[in-house]
Amino acid sequence: MDVLYLLIPISVLLVFAIIGVFWWALQKGQFDNIEREGDRILRGD
Amino acid sequence: MTDNFGVLDDPVELREFTDFSDVDGTPTAVSVLMVQGMYCAACADTVESALQHLPGVERAHVHAATRRLTLHWNPALTSMSSLARAVGDTGYRLLPIQQALSISERLRETRQALWRLFVAGFCSMQVMMYAWPAYVTEPGEIPADIDQLLRWASWVLSLPVVFFASGPFFSSAWRDLKHGRVGMDTPVSIGILVTFIASSGSTFDPTGPWGYEVWFDSLTMFVFFLLGGRYLELKARDRTAGALDSLMNRLPEVCDLQKPDGSFEAVSIRRLATGDVVRLQAGQAFPGDGTVLSESATVDEALLTGESRPVIRERGGAVVAGSFNLGGPVLLRVDKLGRDTRFAQIVSLMEKASTEKPRLAILVDRIAAPFLVAVLVAAAFAAWYWWQIDPNKALAVAVAVLIVTCPCALSLATPAAMLSSAGALARRGILLRRLQAFESLANINAVVFDKTGTLTHDRLVLDDVHTRAGVSRDQALELAGQMAAGSLHPVSRALASAAVGLDAIGPEVLTDMAELAGQGMQALRADGSRLRLGSAAFCGVSVSEAAATDAGDSPRVYLSDEQGWLATFTLQEGLRDDAQAAVAALRAMGVRTWLLSGDRDAAAQLVGQAVGVDHVISGASPEQKLAEVSALQAQGIKLAMVGDGLNDGPVLARADTSFALGHAAPLAQAQSDYVIQGGEVMDVVRTLQQARCTLRIVRQNLMWAATYNLVCVPLALFGFMPPWLAGLGMAGSSLLVIGNALRLASKVPSGSSDTVSGKP
Repeated sequence: MDVLYLLIPISVLLVFAIIGVFWWALQKGQFDNIEREGDRILRGD
Repeated sequence: MTDNFGVLDDPVELREFTDFSDVDGTPTAVSVLMVQGMYCAACADTVESALQHLPGVERAHVHAATRRLTLHWNPALTSMSSLARAVGDTGYRLLPIQQALSISERLRETRQALWRLFVAGFCSMQVMMYAWPAYVTEPGEIPADIDQLLRWASWVLSLPVVFFASGPFFSSAWRDLKHGRVGMDTPVSIGILVTFIASSGSTFDPTGPWGYEVWFDSLTMFVFFLLGGRYLELKARDRTAGALDSLMNRLPEVCDLQKPDGSFEAVSIRRLATGDVVRLQAGQAFPGDGTVLSESATVDEALLTGESRPVIRERGGAVVAGSFNLGGPVLLRVDKLGRDTRFAQIVSLMEKASTEKPRLAILVDRIAAPFLVAVLVAAAFAAWYWWQIDPNKALAVAVAVLIVTCPCALSLATPAAMLSSAGALARRGILLRRLQAFESLANINAVVFDKTGTLTHDRLVLDDVHTRAGVSRDQALELAGQMAAGSLHPVSRALASAAVGLDAIGPEVLTDMAELAGQGMQALRADGSRLRLGSAAFCGVSVSEAAATDAGDSPRVYLSDEQGWLATFTLQEGLRDDAQAAVAALRAMGVRTWLLSGDRDAAAQLVGQAVGVDHVISGASPEQKLAEVSALQAQGIKLAMVGDGLNDGPVLARADTSFALGHAAPLAQAQSDYVIQGGEVMDVVRTLQQARCTLRIVRQNLMWAATYNLVCVPLALFGFMPPWLAGLGMAGSSLLVIGNALRLASKVPSGSSDTVSGKP
């Protein structure tokens, strides 16, 4: 059970890491228009 | 504070969103701006009251659903920048609509909302994980130190939720607090703070006054649900108000300007000048009224004319700003720009309409403020009451009451539905001057048509031809048609269009053609004989000859050559193609119809019978028309008046609601509630159906929102509703209202095939 003392803090850090990754993706504009990629495959250019 | 409000005083910028006029010697400016940072109806009050007491401000009016501000102010006494600064001090931002709707602003707003939503979402999921062991074990089963560790972890993950993701709730509640009022976000903010403080207290001091319980899972989850609701609401509002916005904002921001050397350069539309040549790609909107320089252009002018089919414009043809280029790239010479275009008139009309608060919305806003105070009192009472029964539950119950009761859904119910409906109509070329007109129109039980230009075309059509013996109808008509082709007189146009395609006299060229104003046309035939087309006197036709071919009151025109009378053409005001169907559809909907005409009795009766209206009142002067309308209203009839918007101003204003058909009148002067640009009578029926539909949705929305509050408040008070469910319920109720309203945006009834076919 002692491993919980390690795992719980790690899980907190992990959440912050994931939020950071999302922030990066958001600022890159990946969520600005989520239909765009679907459309692009149908267009020739 | 350094700011960039000064930009707003730049005359070029100012003119983009302001109308200047002079009322009794006082200069007056009317500006329409977007307010940023608004979430609800209470915010609208804050902005209004911040402006109302400033010197030079006559009237300020904020529409909560579209976040638009209409400001009547005196440019001699104040400046736009100082007004914007005053609003800025209350925590909101005034932006010109063009700028507020620009892609980058909107993107920033959506990204920020999504970012807060994600932080709240992810943290709440993880906090739920930490809370789960406590739910599934008996007290004491988890070692105390592990339990404490889980609480600390939950606390850490709640921090971003409370201090970052809940930011919009706090800032809006703080603004209200500063102005000494209770807004929609006040109860929510109190709920968040109280839960967080109490849970933090018990985390760090489990034996202290805060008790042992923590509510981090409930806290993060209801923030997540509320933000989720807000986010979807933002998206949906972009679509309800967006239907309008996309109409008003359809001019391109940049377009390709042809430089003297023939190459193209992308320039901002504001830098265009009349006479410039621009290139438009397929799907782009024309930046100004202009002339087509390419071979031809296929354009969609639905917004401006109500004509939904694409129209072809040949080289030299005119296109209007705001219509779309559907075909390939088009070269265009710009003739008119900005406020000179009809598109600009439409935009300013729609902007004024969308800032107006319908009666039902005002009523709801008035109820909302005391209701919110009552909520705070109820929550305090619930906390006190439950404290005596079960202290562990007191906090949760009070928070649930605070969260569940936000009257957001109630205040969105009316404007969301009406705006989405107005947007749908506008896309069909039916413009609305006041949102309130939906309510008036849905309640009418009679439609009064003015004759000329509404049931009939404002142009004449050929009815009958009488000819001298030995001359065929077609021969006479072709001669007349050739002569008439050179004239713009309504009678000439009718003859010329009736003669199109005839080939009865072979190739013959008329020469020496001349038009004598007020009398007629004359021309020389190839054999040297002189033809005359016009009034009886002009053609030398005697009264007896004219009388011989009498056809009642209809307008007539004569053709003569050197042997005298040759032919008589009888003309008629053409009925609109869909007039009969429209009247039948109205009857099927239980609406009575009147024809109110200034024409002589016979002519009016004729039209009335042909169209099938229930009653005909003819020979009425404008004063009599007004008296007739008042008399009908005195009988308790609620009526809609349909006119051409030019001649019947007082009557249109007197009627319960009114339509202007066709685009005879300049939009700014038309006095009617609705302007039907396409000129189809059937559009009156469609608008009526849409209005009834809108009111039905508004009622559903109000009913739903009221029921929601009536059911949920007692449930929360009696402790049946945990805070997370309250958050879900509140977000859900707002979304349901908006979603219901969005049904109206999808489609205007395509006609009345169902109602017409129901007729025997």
